[in-house]
Amino acid sequence: MEMHFIFSDKVVLLFDFWSVHSPAGMAFSVLVVLLLAVLYESIKVGKAKLLHQALVSLSIPTSQQLIEEMDQDSSGSDSPPVSKTRLRWFLCHFGQSLIHVVQVVIGYFIMLAVMSYNTWIFLGVVLGSAVGYYLAYPLFSMV
Amino acid sequence: MDHSHHMGMSHTDHNTTTPPSHHHPTTSASHSHGGDMDHMMMMPMTFYFGFKNVELLFSGLVINTPGEMAGAFVAVFLLAVFYEGLKIGRESLLRKSQVSIRYNSMPVPGPNGTTLMETHKTVGQQMLSFPHLLQTVLHIIQVVVSYFLMLIFMTYNGYLCIAVAAGAGTGYFFFSWKKAVVVDITEHCH
Repeated sequence: MEMHFIFSDKVVLLFDFWSVHSPAGMAFSVLVVLLLAVLYESIKVGKAKLLHQALVSLSIPTSQQLIEEMDQDSSGSDSPPVSKTRLRWFLCHFGQSLIHVVQVVIGYFIMLAVMSYNTWIFLGVVLGSAVGYYLAYPLFSMV
Repeated sequence: MDHSHHMGMSHTDHNTTTPPSHHHPTTSASHSHGGDMDHMMMMPMTFYFGFKNVELLFSGLVINTPGEMAGAFVAVFLLAVFYEGLKIGRESLLRKSQVSIRYNSMPVPGPNGTTLMETHKTVGQQMLSFPHLLQTVLHIIQVVVSYFLMLIFMTYNGYLCIAVAAGAGTGYFFFSWKKAVVVDITEHCH
């Protein structure tokens, strides 16, 4: 395995069936890797956004609300039944963990794709990260 | 080429029939049969499931039996759980040890010619204080463990990769449970 970046149309990415041996196949592979990087960046932002939404919907005060409450010196409201909230929080946190596993796996897949030392793939990853980062924050703030 | 169809099953067969000691995972149809053949196949570049002759991180650590692979699976799993716990432990340690909080306000031109006051909050630590030294040591450990996990994933062994992913998920699940209630939502990139 050559340990430097090369421009090449032939590469095997991640799995045995994903072998590229033509410019068209390489263009398609770069597109797939680009979308993978966009997905990775969106999951990073989406996880935090999902957590915030879950906390708000379950009436668990977020740290910002806690700070505001401390300023106003109001008595705490603890109306929802504890057991139902705990079950919902458990399910929400379980979902968060699954999303975290997906994020870790995609991150490693992208690392292995870059490890193929193919320059086109590397550029696809970099571009996908840039596009994903650029699109993720404004889009998720609007939701 | 018909090698590519027997990816998972006959991986162990390849080891008994081929003379070189390093395992030969199947590669795609596109590789050439030039003199570089051995060189190219020394490190697998695609995912495979196997437990024969799997080198793990160090030269003495070679897995040859299912029992050793099971032990390695558990060890890698625990390493990933430890990594997630270390990440979250460092965050909570940092929050607890914030020493000085400085607010400084500065005027900023706003719309319509008015000036707004923008307040910056900086939290700092003294350089030679114990919490900062502890953070540095934990940071080094975190960097080393994260590189180990990357190298383990780089073995392309399916069992070990699943162990890394499952350990990360389980560690995140257990250690983020309490933390999520008081986390600052604007934090990202962790």
